[in-house]
Amino acid sequence: MSQGFDKITKKGDSPRPIMLEKKDLFTRIVSFSPKLLILILILPVLCGLICVLLPALSWLPALEKTTLNLQGFIDLWQTPGITQMAALSLATGLISTLLAFVIALMILAAFFNSVWLQRIEHLLSPILVIPHAAAAIAVGFLIAPSGMFARLISPWLTGWEMAPDGMFPHDPYGISIILGLTLKELPFLLLMALGALAQPELGKKLRQQYTVALNLGYYPITAFFKAVLPLLYPFLRLPILAVLAYASASVEMPLILGPNTPPTLAVSIIQWFNDVDLTLRIKASAGALLQLVLTAGLVAFWLGGEKAIKTIFSVSSVNGKRHYADAIWQKVTAMLTVGVIGFMLLSLSGLVLWAFAGFWRFPAMLPEQFVLLHFQSAFTQMSTPLVNTLSIGAVSTAFAVFLTLLCLEAEQLSAKPLSHFTSFIIYLPLLVPSIAFLFGLVWLQQLANYQSEFFNVAFAHLLFVLPYVFLSLASSYRRLDPRFAHVAASLGAAPIKVFFQIKLPQLFAPILIAIALGLAISFGQYLPTLLAGGGRIATITTEAVTLANGASRRTSAVYAIMQMALPLIGFIVAWMLPKYFFRSGAR
Amino acid sequence: MRVIATLPMLKRLTRYSTYAMVMSICIGISASTASPTTANVNQDLSPWQQIEAQGSNQDVYFYAWGGDPQINAYLQWVADQVDDKYNINLVHVKLSDTSEAVSRVLAEKSAHNDDQGSVDLVWINGANFATMSENSLLLKQWANKLPNFALTDPDNNPIVNFDFGVPTNGMEAPWGQASLTFYYDSLSTSKPPTTLNELATWTAQNPGRFSYPKPPDFLGMSFLKYVLVMLHERQDAQTGKDISAQLNLPATEENTALVLDPLWEFLDNFHPTLWRNGEQFVQTGAQMRRLVDDTELSLAFTFSAPEVPAAVQRYDLPQSIRSYAMSDGSLSNTHFVAIPYNASHPQAAQLVANFLMSPEAQAKKQTPSVWGDKSVLVQSTLSPAHQALFKTKQPHPSALPFDSVKRTVSEPHPSWVEAIQQGWQARYGVSP
Repeated sequence: MSQGFDKITKKGDSPRPIMLEKKDLFTRIVSFSPKLLILILILPVLCGLICVLLPALSWLPALEKTTLNLQGFIDLWQTPGITQMAALSLATGLISTLLAFVIALMILAAFFNSVWLQRIEHLLSPILVIPHAAAAIAVGFLIAPSGMFARLISPWLTGWEMAPDGMFPHDPYGISIILGLTLKELPFLLLMALGALAQPELGKKLRQQYTVALNLGYYPITAFFKAVLPLLYPFLRLPILAVLAYASASVEMPLILGPNTPPTLAVSIIQWFNDVDLTLRIKASAGALLQLVLTAGLVAFWLGGEKAIKTIFSVSSVNGKRHYADAIWQKVTAMLTVGVIGFMLLSLSGLVLWAFAGFWRFPAMLPEQFVLLHFQSAFTQMSTPLVNTLSIGAVSTAFAVFLTLLCLEAEQLSAKPLSHFTSFIIYLPLLVPSIAFLFGLVWLQQLANYQSEFFNVAFAHLLFVLPYVFLSLASSYRRLDPRFAHVAASLGAAPIKVFFQIKLPQLFAPILIAIALGLAISFGQYLPTLLAGGGRIATITTEAVTLANGASRRTSAVYAIMQMALPLIGFIVAWMLPKYFFRSGAR
Repeated sequence: MRVIATLPMLKRLTRYSTYAMVMSICIGISASTASPTTANVNQDLSPWQQIEAQGSNQDVYFYAWGGDPQINAYLQWVADQVDDKYNINLVHVKLSDTSEAVSRVLAEKSAHNDDQGSVDLVWINGANFATMSENSLLLKQWANKLPNFALTDPDNNPIVNFDFGVPTNGMEAPWGQASLTFYYDSLSTSKPPTTLNELATWTAQNPGRFSYPKPPDFLGMSFLKYVLVMLHERQDAQTGKDISAQLNLPATEENTALVLDPLWEFLDNFHPTLWRNGEQFVQTGAQMRRLVDDTELSLAFTFSAPEVPAAVQRYDLPQSIRSYAMSDGSLSNTHFVAIPYNASHPQAAQLVANFLMSPEAQAKKQTPSVWGDKSVLVQSTLSPAHQALFKTKQPHPSALPFDSVKRTVSEPHPSWVEAIQQGWQARYGVSP
């Protein structure tokens, strides 16, 4: 995971091109691969968007509607509570992203260059592999009126013999959603920042600047904000925008934690799409476009805010002030970090308790008895979803890793870094709200290939797996010492041989990490699985979300634990294997 | 000169043809994974035997609500049975809402997929059925030809031919019957309300301890219909008018306000006494059950009475739970399975539907520890051996006592669902 995000275009020491007289098949495939990458990412997203535009304009031949009009938008506008829905989406998306970003910065600033930063990274990185649905289930249990917090203080402090009529989760202001999203996105942003710092040159440069600032008498936190952040931020921009886009349009968290009078816009859209009243699909499509506008607005707002902050603080960053109550901020950050980690540990332990709990009446702190029943009954029904989860993950990840490696090899063979355009395109499926383009994509898939849900789902997963795999592999690939390849080539090895026998073994560890990451991303996909599979393809995640909104909290806990265990196993394997194979590749 | 000009074009053409080849290979691979098997049709066989011959050895994608592990386990048992009997591979596609299946079939219709649909069989009733039937999304005149359909005594048993008052026309095979059952936590409340009046008094005395699922949830709508029917019975008795008859007619612009205003008046006073002051509602009956387990609610209801003792046995509800039926009436309805018009395996789906109606499957389903869904079969049509399958053992303490449903209330016309839902959404869908 430490590879993380890397700047895709890298200037400077690009390896010298390996000149070839004649292009062999391998070289041709390699040089074609970036085009394929762009096609795979752009086509579905753009076509998906176009195909959601038509029904939004009331063009839906199945309902014998073939005249274009704005009825969908009028209906949308007249929906009771539409402004509240939009406001809730905007507020939860913006506030959670801002909170996650600020806390991540505070942790970085307070623990920069200290051993604690790595410890916090180790504690938080498992959160990254927890799917949103599982995290929402865990958080929900913690903050519910009958949740772990209430049990810890009841009845001795509160006198509650029965759960009180509380406010969380499902509070009307979306605080529960903000809490869940913040906790889930914080580790992501932190790891992205650490990934950027792990780049040898940038990391070295920033650490040097930081040391200089300290020597000049700047207090640590101030030194971070003045000397490190301005250079670090450009590396965080795309991940932040991806988080912002996700948070404003996600479905799982608001579905499990959010209010429903009214819910967020994205949840409403899903409900309209699935409503018995089929004409509601026109309104749903219009809503999907509104969601797109909202998310785009948020992104624009964030970019504007960046500029504003830059202008405002351009003076203060060179005003020579050495500290801004650093000692207090240090303490605040330490407390906040302990709070965040404590919250996560408590919610995870609650999840484990529920998975084994027999009768467990409020306000008892522990279950009356521990049973294996929930695991047994879940496992009897889990085989199909498990096989689906694993096979879809394997197919989409294998393809993503293969294509990424080819693209990176293309970059080295042609000695041309991928263009800015390409690096932006890689983020496209993360920046466009999936709810806006997935419906169109499903419609397209229906036309082109309605018989194989498996293929459709794997393809939809690929759109989300590919960016992460690419980002995870890019830095290691670009860091490969080009001399090995040069020596091999000068000894007459064909590019294909250099690729398979020289480069890939050196990349054994990063490739395994990328595979584990790709699998984790695929395992966690809810909306793409649900929509592209037409509900036919059940995975652990779709089952977990279906169960989370009802049935048994104990069964939900078992599924959430499964959701966490699967990617975790992947990462453990990825960490262990290099110790036994290709020792040179393990760093 | 010409040749030189075409060269780059040729080059481009080769490139495009490579793209096309890759694409076609991908499509080819995915298409080859699905190959419908059609058995030879022997003209000498009876229609049912032909269906048996054609339907065996196929897949059946059964789209059914998947929110209850007990029901899921029962469907798993059904899958094993039809696998043994007909070598049918029954795949339960777990829906969180049946309307997802309706949308699916619609999407396929819009893509002109008229014979390779993904839904083979769907668990359905009420508004979803009305929608599918209006849009001609269902296969017609098959259910009444299933051999086991005779066991429901269709001539004397209207519940198997009407779905919320709408004739099924052989588009649905009856599968089970349900009536609204209430349950309460006996440690929190010793005397639960048994009429609508008592319920209103009870929630006023126990604020925040009752709620109902938000429409359009099926169970929430059922509760609202129960309230509506009861309010009109009471009002008609007081005023001597007969407004409740309107409930069996389609909702129109004229009668909607007349019929629904008493409901809104009641809910205006009722909601502030509910969980979260009626500003937040649970999404499903299962979520409501979980809140009872959390002791946030003390009273709840379900359409599937046996889910209550089963949940206690699974530790999902406390042991202090007791079930009962409202004494002023229990809303009752029948649920069905249907086959979409474009199902890929309609014959196999009929074999499954017929098996679902078999005494064996119905008796298993009625067993409280399995599912406890009331059978649609009429006992007098069954052989003594089959009747014996339905004998129950010692009931669980939290199960609905035998014969506790004193009076059943039938469902209003399905068009009221839409009217109630819209009115509810406009009034209570956005909390202040």
